[in-house]
Amino acid sequence: MYKFCKSTQGLTVLIAALVIMVCAPMAQAQDIANGSATATVLAALTVTAGTLVFGSVYQGVSKAITNDNAAAGVFSITGASGAGVSMYMQLPDYVSITGDSDRMVISFSATDCNIDTAGVSSGDPTAFLAANGYADDNPHNLPTTNFDAASSIEIFLGGTVLPTIDQTAGAYTGDIILTVAYDGT
Amino acid sequence: MKRSESLIPGNQAGFGRRFFCLLVVFILISTKLSAGVLVAPTVVFMSDKNRTGRINVQNPTDKPIEVTISFGFGLPESDSLGNVKVVIEDSNVVDPRSALDWVRAFPRKVLVPPNGEQVVRLVARPPQNLPEGEYWARIIVRSQQGQTTIPTAGESDGITTTLNMIIKTAIMLKFRNGQMNAELEVTNIQTSRDDKKLRVIVDMANHGNASYLGRISCRVLDADKKQVALAGTDLAVYRNLKRKLEMPYVPGEHLMPFEVEIKITSEGRTDIAREFMVFGNEINRVVYLD
Repeated sequence: MYKFCKSTQGLTVLIAALVIMVCAPMAQAQDIANGSATATVLAALTVTAGTLVFGSVYQGVSKAITNDNAAAGVFSITGASGAGVSMYMQLPDYVSITGDSDRMVISFSATDCNIDTAGVSSGDPTAFLAANGYADDNPHNLPTTNFDAASSIEIFLGGTVLPTIDQTAGAYTGDIILTVAYDGT
Repeated sequence: MKRSESLIPGNQAGFGRRFFCLLVVFILISTKLSAGVLVAPTVVFMSDKNRTGRINVQNPTDKPIEVTISFGFGLPESDSLGNVKVVIEDSNVVDPRSALDWVRAFPRKVLVPPNGEQVVRLVARPPQNLPEGEYWARIIVRSQQGQTTIPTAGESDGITTTLNMIIKTAIMLKFRNGQMNAELEVTNIQTSRDDKKLRVIVDMANHGNASYLGRISCRVLDADKKQVALAGTDLAVYRNLKRKLEMPYVPGEHLMPFEVEIKITSEGRTDIAREFMVFGNEINRVVYLD
């Protein structure tokens, strides 16, 4: 019994540590001066991103990652409830190998984007439900939307790479840029 | 006692499974994150009396991020349907209210460590004899993962792809010179509905020398004065703006015609300290929707 309690306590401590690790950055949004017992609370805008992962690709075989695949790209935006936010995505036409000696076409269709405006997908593209936002939306023309009570918006991005039959083997890189701005400030 | 002994391992196993699931989710979330940035505040105010400002940039991830600060210009603009967008320009800005050419940031490039923070200081050097009014720029905080690793192909004939996720956060900067005022006029209101949504589009014009900051809210009542829908959002009108509010509703559930109450006020902004608010006029309008 004692052993069990001890192990349960250990697990509880571990979970508490994980919760602190996850929540610490959010808590840091407040600029707090403990010494003088004053605190300035600042409105913050947080954006995090998880990359779109294609994994291994083969010459002459195109590979698509859908927007509800676990490997889809993820942008999570957290801001003030009720605020309108304008988003703009710049997507590459190709990815290039180190030294730019070869390029591979990458495409993003007008339905490659899911947008969760209810903030309930928890960063998981597979958990997106159409009722919670915009399904199969155009990443080239993202809609203006508002933060609702959850104060969180998540964008899930799919895409397709199209290697040619003589595509040079190697590692290819490209940039996806998301610009975010409040439209009510 | 025997029963409780037999239950304990089960509970422990269940607890362990839940803990494992939590751990897996946490690890998945952690490993998926490749870049991130927190910027505060969301609007910076400077003036002829205080020509300096600051923003805080935090790295919420467990990897270093490379942050670059630059300036652009972009006001909320609307299309004919009331959709609002902010389009950022970084060159050839000819707007007379642009502060783009005379604001600076220090430092302009910095590596923020995991879960670290960096203060970026801002300085305005406005031209002499600057006319009274409010001047604007966007602070562009560009962040991407700091340790750029060159990906390697897994096999001799293999092809791998790495996409760098880059985030640009555009924060409004307002420089105020002299006395400020904001005077809003509603020039037109359109209402419409389909089988899912009620739409209200409000045309506004700001006649003041400062941006009108506030909130616009809309309440729809049916013929029995029962509430059908409610919507609201933060509002910033620099010159002219057409703002759409959409509200879901169920056709046939309420008695027509609908009464649409529209309220625009400078009160109710929790993201901006009162000392920085330029309180403008309040507008209340009622229109009907058949």
